[in-house]
Amino acid sequence: MKRRYALRFSPTLVEQPIVSKLARTYDVDINILNADVASGRGGKLIVELSGTEENLDASVLYLSEVGVIVSEMVKELLFREEGCIHCGACTAVCSPRALRMNNEAKLVFDVSLCVVCGLCTQACPLRLFEVSNERET
Amino acid sequence: MAKTIAQINEKIKAGKAVVVTAEVFTNMAQEKSLVELAQEVDVVTTATFGPMCSSGAIINFGHWSPGIRMEEISLNGVSAYEGLAAVDTYIGATSESKFDPTYGGANVIEDLIRGKDVRLHARGKGTDCYPTKEIDTWINKETVNEFYLFNPRNAYQNYAAATNSTNRIKYTYMGSLLPRYSNVTYSTSGELSPLLNDPFLRTIGLGTRIFLGGTEGYVVWNGTQFNTRRERNEFGIPKLPGATLAVIGDAKQMSADYIRSAYYEKYGVSLFVGIGIPIPVLDERMAKHLSISNDQIETTILDYGQENHPAVGMATYAQLASGSVTLPDGKQVKTAPLSSLAKAREIAELLGQWIREKRFFLTEPVQMFPKDSFVKPLVPREGGEQ
Repeated sequence: MKRRYALRFSPTLVEQPIVSKLARTYDVDINILNADVASGRGGKLIVELSGTEENLDASVLYLSEVGVIVSEMVKELLFREEGCIHCGACTAVCSPRALRMNNEAKLVFDVSLCVVCGLCTQACPLRLFEVSNERET
Repeated sequence: MAKTIAQINEKIKAGKAVVVTAEVFTNMAQEKSLVELAQEVDVVTTATFGPMCSSGAIINFGHWSPGIRMEEISLNGVSAYEGLAAVDTYIGATSESKFDPTYGGANVIEDLIRGKDVRLHARGKGTDCYPTKEIDTWINKETVNEFYLFNPRNAYQNYAAATNSTNRIKYTYMGSLLPRYSNVTYSTSGELSPLLNDPFLRTIGLGTRIFLGGTEGYVVWNGTQFNTRRERNEFGIPKLPGATLAVIGDAKQMSADYIRSAYYEKYGVSLFVGIGIPIPVLDERMAKHLSISNDQIETTILDYGQENHPAVGMATYAQLASGSVTLPDGKQVKTAPLSSLAKAREIAELLGQWIREKRFFLTEPVQMFPKDSFVKPLVPREGGEQ
């Protein structure tokens, strides 16, 4: 399986051969999609790791243990539901009907139907939706 | 037997008044005659919780020492009106911050209701009696003298629904309208809506006590753009926006559960206002009005993609609430509400509870609103001449 992660390094971590250690120890292929790392000031890598689920999990654990801040690159919709007044404006733009009104006139969000198009982030008059690209691991 | 408001208030006082919401009343009307309903039920509670742009608040800040005759007043960067004596102001819900277009007067009002501190900046020209030329300080609802909502146009009787014929998405106060008639939005609580349950304003007038923003408020005038000349259907419901109400109430007693700021993309700031109006079941004629159901309330669907918003069709609220409507060209289009029916139900229930607990009594209007009123456009005139 493949997963994408954002890896954030502190200035001291940049001096360590973390990526090669990851490949040798955990048998994962590493595709660096974007790198902004410089000696002395830390940085950020966007990587795609391929390997077994077990090895991917172990890689994330190793990275976290050495002090890398790891977040998975997942595009998802965040909804601050507690602020919702059930006006229904978001349902106007939700084609897959992930957001719909139930028969009690309350808004229901079915995350399994959401395609993360982001139209609701603009349609909600209370600004309760946000598209997130990274999830903390 | 007809009832009077005074008799209904006696029943409330005695704990004997029968109070139901307009939705419950409509359901009861399926099984009972109007004669029975008019005898059995005393008060029907109606409510709405929608974005109402023509809203705002009067604030008296108290006097600074030495005095200032405030000009260029801003609250959290939002301009407020400077032409009301030295330390009075009116902050309109749609006034926008100079720094953040998603923050406006509505947010200031909500922040004050929540008890938050708000930054006040003002200048003065400096006079013998008001020498101070600039102040920059903080206020909240405890530090100011008066803070009351005064909304010139709320509770629209039957707002039109909206769609968009163009090839691009339109961001409007009717929400995000998708291209090529791909959605229809509507803003009403339908059979629960106050002015649809008393379509000729027989019981609602100057001085009517209402639920406003979580506390009691009053109807203080007809709303602006008050229109009685709209064509009505057989149930007396105007087919386009008709009557409106100007309302007032003490914002210090209000709750952010029932007053909420909103931002509509590329349109601006507005304010959700919770309004509940008790309607006395005086006689069979009122019972008939109050038994109105969503399939009897029609509204016009307007094309917000074209100038002057031409009509593209009609729909009943039963159809709009079903999730889709069919336009005259046969296209089935998804519908979405903009006002919160769930909140409106909560308000209607709460108002009923206040009446049953003898905390809220009905009022006889001091004066009824105009029977013939229409809305004029603003006609351009060259050079300000005749």
